[in-house]
Amino acid sequence: MAAPLASPTLIDRLRDPSEKTLGVMLLAPAALLLLMIVVYPIGKLFYNSFFDMRLSGGQGSKFIGLQNYADMMKDTGFWDATLNTVIITAVTVPGALLVGLGLALLANLPFKRQWPVRLALLLPWALPLAFAGLIWAWFFHTEYGFINDVWARMGGEPRMWLLSPVSAFTAICLAIIWKASSFMALVLLAGLQMIPKSLYEAAEVDGASKWQQFTQITLPMLMPSIMVALIFRTITALQTFDIPYTMTKGGPGNATETLAMYIHKTTIDYLDVGYGSTLAVGMFVLSLLLTAVYLRHISKQDSA
Amino acid sequence: MKLKKALLAAALMVVTATVAAQNIRVFSGGASQRPDLMRKLFDEFEKKNPGSKIDMETGGATSEAQRQYLSTVLNAKDSAIDVYMIDIVNPMQYARAGWLEPLDSYLGAEAGSLMKNYLPAYASADVVDGKIVALPAFADAQFLYYRKDLFEKYGVKSPTTWDELAVGLKKILDGEKNAGMNGVATTGAAIEGAVCTFLKPYWSQGKDFNDASGRITLDKAAAQKGIEMWLSLVDRGVMQKNIGEVKPADMNNAFKAGNLVAMVNWGFAWDILQSQADSTVKGKVGVLPLPAMGGGKSATCIGGWQWAVSAFSKNKAASAKLVRFLSSPESAKFLAIEGSLLPVFPQTYSDADVLKKLPHYKDALPVVQAARGRPMSDRYGEVSDALRTTTNAMLARSVKPADGVAEIDNKLRRVMR
Repeated sequence: MAAPLASPTLIDRLRDPSEKTLGVMLLAPAALLLLMIVVYPIGKLFYNSFFDMRLSGGQGSKFIGLQNYADMMKDTGFWDATLNTVIITAVTVPGALLVGLGLALLANLPFKRQWPVRLALLLPWALPLAFAGLIWAWFFHTEYGFINDVWARMGGEPRMWLLSPVSAFTAICLAIIWKASSFMALVLLAGLQMIPKSLYEAAEVDGASKWQQFTQITLPMLMPSIMVALIFRTITALQTFDIPYTMTKGGPGNATETLAMYIHKTTIDYLDVGYGSTLAVGMFVLSLLLTAVYLRHISKQDSA
Repeated sequence: MKLKKALLAAALMVVTATVAAQNIRVFSGGASQRPDLMRKLFDEFEKKNPGSKIDMETGGATSEAQRQYLSTVLNAKDSAIDVYMIDIVNPMQYARAGWLEPLDSYLGAEAGSLMKNYLPAYASADVVDGKIVALPAFADAQFLYYRKDLFEKYGVKSPTTWDELAVGLKKILDGEKNAGMNGVATTGAAIEGAVCTFLKPYWSQGKDFNDASGRITLDKAAAQKGIEMWLSLVDRGVMQKNIGEVKPADMNNAFKAGNLVAMVNWGFAWDILQSQADSTVKGKVGVLPLPAMGGGKSATCIGGWQWAVSAFSKNKAASAKLVRFLSSPESAKFLAIEGSLLPVFPQTYSDADVLKKLPHYKDALPVVQAARGRPMSDRYGEVSDALRTTTNAMLARSVKPADGVAEIDNKLRRVMR
């Protein structure tokens, strides 16, 4: 193949691409797609957050600089919702991890038949979130709920679980842990099955107890899976919407309203797109911060 | 061959769609606005106006959901929908935003006198800044539904105050000894109806929530007294403890099953209690104006729906003609008899055919005439949210009435100014 004498035209280059051009060409569709569905919407979100943009009155939008951000800092609704979100995250992420770990260890036992156990693990994960929320709302319903039925059979007074802030919060966290622990268990089960059996055999020979085996072999070997599961779970927990929305709609009052619900209310109910975008940026920053903490932790481990 | 046929069909559809620019597309609310009955009215119009064709679209089970949808469509200046059915809380917001076509020029000579025919609340809601921006479709107001048979059995007289109602209900519940039976219910879940739950006992004390320009004029002591009245019904055992969970459909179901002696609900409930197959209380239902606070006057919340022509419609004249047809005494009579949707014309309440099917309408007219409107605001979404979530929290007793009322006052002072 002879080197071109004159400088090649664009057509020539496309017809006989060098390694680099070919790379760019092959990446272009994916990059374009990402630009369209990730970069553009996020950019637009930031852009909108600087505007007074209310759809309810049809008065158009007006650039107001950082006013929305100043409002957000003074908005008790924002801080309450953020606090609720952080509490839900702080309770349900470790909760789901513990329950999920238990389930994974159970499912890893040498059952004769594996599939019923695996299926039971998969089912809650496969249910749509809103559906799971509705099921739990019925569980906790004052008049028709399963929980009150059992409670009453044990001689208790029927309680209004979803009408008091503390018990509504507890109910929501329970539902989220139930829903999320199966995902945790699936990830951890995969991790468990990667641990070589020979390690346990060697430990057995050395006379290590079961507990020692668990803390010295299982847990350290499982750490990478735990980290992955935690990162995914934390980010989804920060975005919690479906389960509280279907169980309590944020009630009683705004006691169980999460940040995602507050953003939804501001943008969709109030049609205040400008301020809603600002709140969404706030949530974006919160997720980013927490992810950064995890990523730092991982990179430290990698370099160690 | 099949492919060719499909292509031909597609081509035909494109052609009809372009011709169909003369068609009228109507958004006719959600299931509670009875699209089945509206369709019959549309068919009637098509019959009377050969060549016209009406497509209908429905959506949004609640007023909130419909408002969200329509605000999006109208913000986009979408010309696809020509006629809208809108809740009574919306004409002012939509008209000020320039989304509604003023109808005066289409109504011709009628324009000056037409609005006098309607109930005053609707005439005033649909005229914004001196222009007719919508015509009333049907009225609504909240009533006290009660079990006539049980009231008679225990010799309970028609209550005029909430206190009298509580005494009567206590007598009935003690006598019936049915653990599954509750006294009176109202909407306590955080939905639009809870706005009225907050306002009714407040208004009943002769207080106003807002002045003519829409500014908030909340009397906190009276508002607190109103909420405490609901809570006292719970304490006296005549209202269920979980009132914060109750929605209109829950009340209807409990009432139909004979588990509720009285309830505060909208006009359409009558049709549900009297006509649905699973109702065990057919013929045992009475309707009364809402009781008042002690020393106050009965006050109820007005509802109701309007027909409006979109400012972005490409077919305004025909749309206005349709709206005029839909908002007529004949249509009102049809909707009343078929769906117990309250008429917007005073004379329909004394129509012999209507009274035969709906005997309680003879008492309904004064209630509808005295019913009051919720605060009008172009930020009604926020007003409604503050009222219904806080009312819900107070009824659930997770917030004290005094604190809840102060919270409402705080929030709405910024919105309704």
